[in-house]
Amino acid sequence: MQLIARNITHHYGGTAVLEDISFAIGAGEIVCVVGPSGCGKSTFLRIAGGLERPDSGEVMVAGAAPEGSLNPLTYIFQDFALLPWRSVAGNVSLVLEDHGIRGAEARAIVADVLARTNLSDFARALPRQLSGGMKQRVAIARALAVKPAIMLMDEPLSALDSQTRELLMDDLVALWQRERFSACYVTHNLNEAVRLGSRIIVLSRRPGRIREVVEIDMPIDQRAERLTELERLQRRVWEIMREEAREADREIADVP
Amino acid sequence: MSHEATTRPGETAAAAGSGEELRPVPFRGGGFKHRPLGPVAPIVFLAILALWELGARSGFISPIALPAPSEALAALGDLIATGMLWKHLGASLYRLIVGWTLGSLLGIAFGLLIGLFSLARAGLLPLVSALFPIPKIALLPLFIIWFGIGEGSKVATILFGTFFPTVIATYGGVDNVDRNLIRMGQSFGLSWLSIVRKIIVPGAMPAILSGFRISASIAIVLLVAAEMIGAEFGIGAYILMAGALFALDQLIAGVAILSVLGLIIAWLIGKAEKRLLAWRS
Amino acid sequence: MFTISRRLLGVLALSGAAALATPASAADKINIGILSLVSHSPSIIAQARGYFADQDLDVEFVSFQAAQPMAVAIASGDVDFGMTAISGGLISLADKGVVKIIGGALQETPEIDGQKILASKAAFDDGVKTPADLKGRSFGITTTGSSFHYMAHKIADKEGFDRSEIKVKPLQKVPAVIASLKSGQIDAWSIVPNIAGALTSGPEVVEIGRISDYIDNYQVTTVFTSTANVTDKPDLVKRFLAGVSNGIADYNAALVDKTMSEEETAEIVAMIHKYVYSDQPIEKADPRIRAGAMRINENAALSVASVEDQLEWFKSENLVPEGVTMEKLVDTSFVETR
Repeated sequence: MQLIARNITHHYGGTAVLEDISFAIGAGEIVCVVGPSGCGKSTFLRIAGGLERPDSGEVMVAGAAPEGSLNPLTYIFQDFALLPWRSVAGNVSLVLEDHGIRGAEARAIVADVLARTNLSDFARALPRQLSGGMKQRVAIARALAVKPAIMLMDEPLSALDSQTRELLMDDLVALWQRERFSACYVTHNLNEAVRLGSRIIVLSRRPGRIREVVEIDMPIDQRAERLTELERLQRRVWEIMREEAREADREIADVP
Repeated sequence: MSHEATTRPGETAAAAGSGEELRPVPFRGGGFKHRPLGPVAPIVFLAILALWELGARSGFISPIALPAPSEALAALGDLIATGMLWKHLGASLYRLIVGWTLGSLLGIAFGLLIGLFSLARAGLLPLVSALFPIPKIALLPLFIIWFGIGEGSKVATILFGTFFPTVIATYGGVDNVDRNLIRMGQSFGLSWLSIVRKIIVPGAMPAILSGFRISASIAIVLLVAAEMIGAEFGIGAYILMAGALFALDQLIAGVAILSVLGLIIAWLIGKAEKRLLAWRS
Repeated sequence: MFTISRRLLGVLALSGAAALATPASAADKINIGILSLVSHSPSIIAQARGYFADQDLDVEFVSFQAAQPMAVAIASGDVDFGMTAISGGLISLADKGVVKIIGGALQETPEIDGQKILASKAAFDDGVKTPADLKGRSFGITTTGSSFHYMAHKIADKEGFDRSEIKVKPLQKVPAVIASLKSGQIDAWSIVPNIAGALTSGPEVVEIGRISDYIDNYQVTTVFTSTANVTDKPDLVKRFLAGVSNGIADYNAALVDKTMSEEETAEIVAMIHKYVYSDQPIEKADPRIRAGAMRINENAALSVASVEDQLEWFKSENLVPEGVTMEKLVDTSFVETR
């Protein structure tokens, strides 16, 4: 399944946030969106998944969702968005209940996704008992449970410390190898972008416009070994962004 | 502070090197911290009672100012011996439980409406704000006409008293539910009802329960007012009768029963909080 | 009420029984507690006409909403003299040795219209035509041990049914009793004639009897003061009673016997109006003040028999401590007794 954004423009009050954003995410592709803070990355992601309506432009999907997909466009949030009163298993089964999946069928799916995210031993734990990295794994397991076609990831690793981030990045790579999901991955961390992205879309400072699109040909599974090449790539992206980031830093934010 | 921190190490290093006297860094981090002191509360309580008893016996506290605690205890003993305690408690508990339960259920329902629907918020919130501060005692003559002098007006007084704080606690709780959790529910395609049932209500639960603490205390306060109207039995009626007869020992005994009732209810709500909010750290 | 109780606590707790003495200021300065009722007007008249000044008394009035706090204020020494019905609270304070009845005031007499027994229209239509029909009916009272409670039981006694068969409903305040009676929430009540008259003029309330048929020489209200005044300042008590007796004489002449000239009566009414129905213009208040004034005993004479009957009733209902005696409650040395 493909996700296509066409001429997305959006304002908050009188402030323009996004201007004429158009791009497509192909099947099995991870498209990273980077940009200085306040450039409208997260707003774009909310529009892409239908949580917010753009002032103009449209988001389309093409092609059929994979067999059995309950929720084709599925988010992973920066703050994990786990219900603190439900156990790990309960948080996963939450998203199945509304699709009428209960009992043994639900238990089987939950057990499967927890196994895939190495969480089987924590099924009964409450979110407050888990570290940040574990919480994000639960959120990923929850997303996997609905068999998404495209993952919409909003700074999924930004709330984690750098060691945990490395571990989870490895996990994501391994997961992608197996599942070959498509994703729109919004981040301000260029290292994540060059490690995970098939393509990096660099946005300008507010109002966010596509400044440049950087294609990365290197296979994702090889990148951990070719860090020096990645380092050069990351520096290139940073060169593109630097001025925008400096200007953005001097602005007074009044946009949520 | 940072200034001291940067200058002192230099000094001590120099001092150590030159064989000068070493001084320990003075500790300044104490205080502003509560330690649990278990037996203090009962000791203070017993000491006050002992002083009170002593004062009353010696005549330092006049019998028309305060009866001795032993006299109040004797009045309590009479209540138990005659079996009237259970009659009074039974009548009051019935009014408290029915009034508080109905008030809380209605309060939660209206609180959810105000929390969830803009129309309800625009229409009902000003009404709640306008009616909340009205002293329910002032409405007693009206309650007599509306609800009669039987159980109706007594239950209604407690119901009205507990309804408003519950409404405010509930809609405040709904407002404070993490918006990201609601957005998460929407992003997974949960139905409106599922979001309310599984995300908003449990999320508002801490606020609702702390509202219960307040509304339960208000219910006890209003018990005396509620039992002003034609009550033969009830702790509030007992206190009012003791006041009218200037029987201070009975008055203090009645007030003590109310406080014990308040303690028990607070303890029960504490238990409920522990059970329902176990997920909180 | 708050300030009274706070002062009571402060004064009494700190200095104990010594505080029971009247304030130590000028010996002839006294505070008189009054309720906004016509029956409290003798003091008002005595003050306005200078009878208290003649006795070398400097009087200040303290208004109360109910008899109970007034009794407590007299016990604490904040107020020196008051007039009120004999209530459980008053007897309880007398038992503690802090207040004493020193004279009589309002009394039921056969020749003057006294307190009325009222029924709600609903109860009347349902068969409550006379007080005998009150068996099994509800009867409004303010509080347990109030004069209303006593009257209800005296009706039961005389009609020969058990006291428990007249169901007394404590409603705390007179307005609440009126609301309950008008709306038929209670079946019956008894009250002084001027309030009864106002009620029976409407369609909701019917008169079914008179209290004087049930209680002989009912001493409705009494004059009382603190025990400290009785023992330490008997002279002050005598001077107060002398002053108020002149007020009583004028009150009876003007409003009960109507032997006073119209001009003088109007003057008396104007004096009373300063404290009673003062929220209404004089044209409206005038007839209400004149209507249904009950006799106040000349020279504050006291019906000891009636007081004793009331005390016995309180004891029989366990509303006051067992040990209260007439000696503790009444000092008969100041006025004529009947």
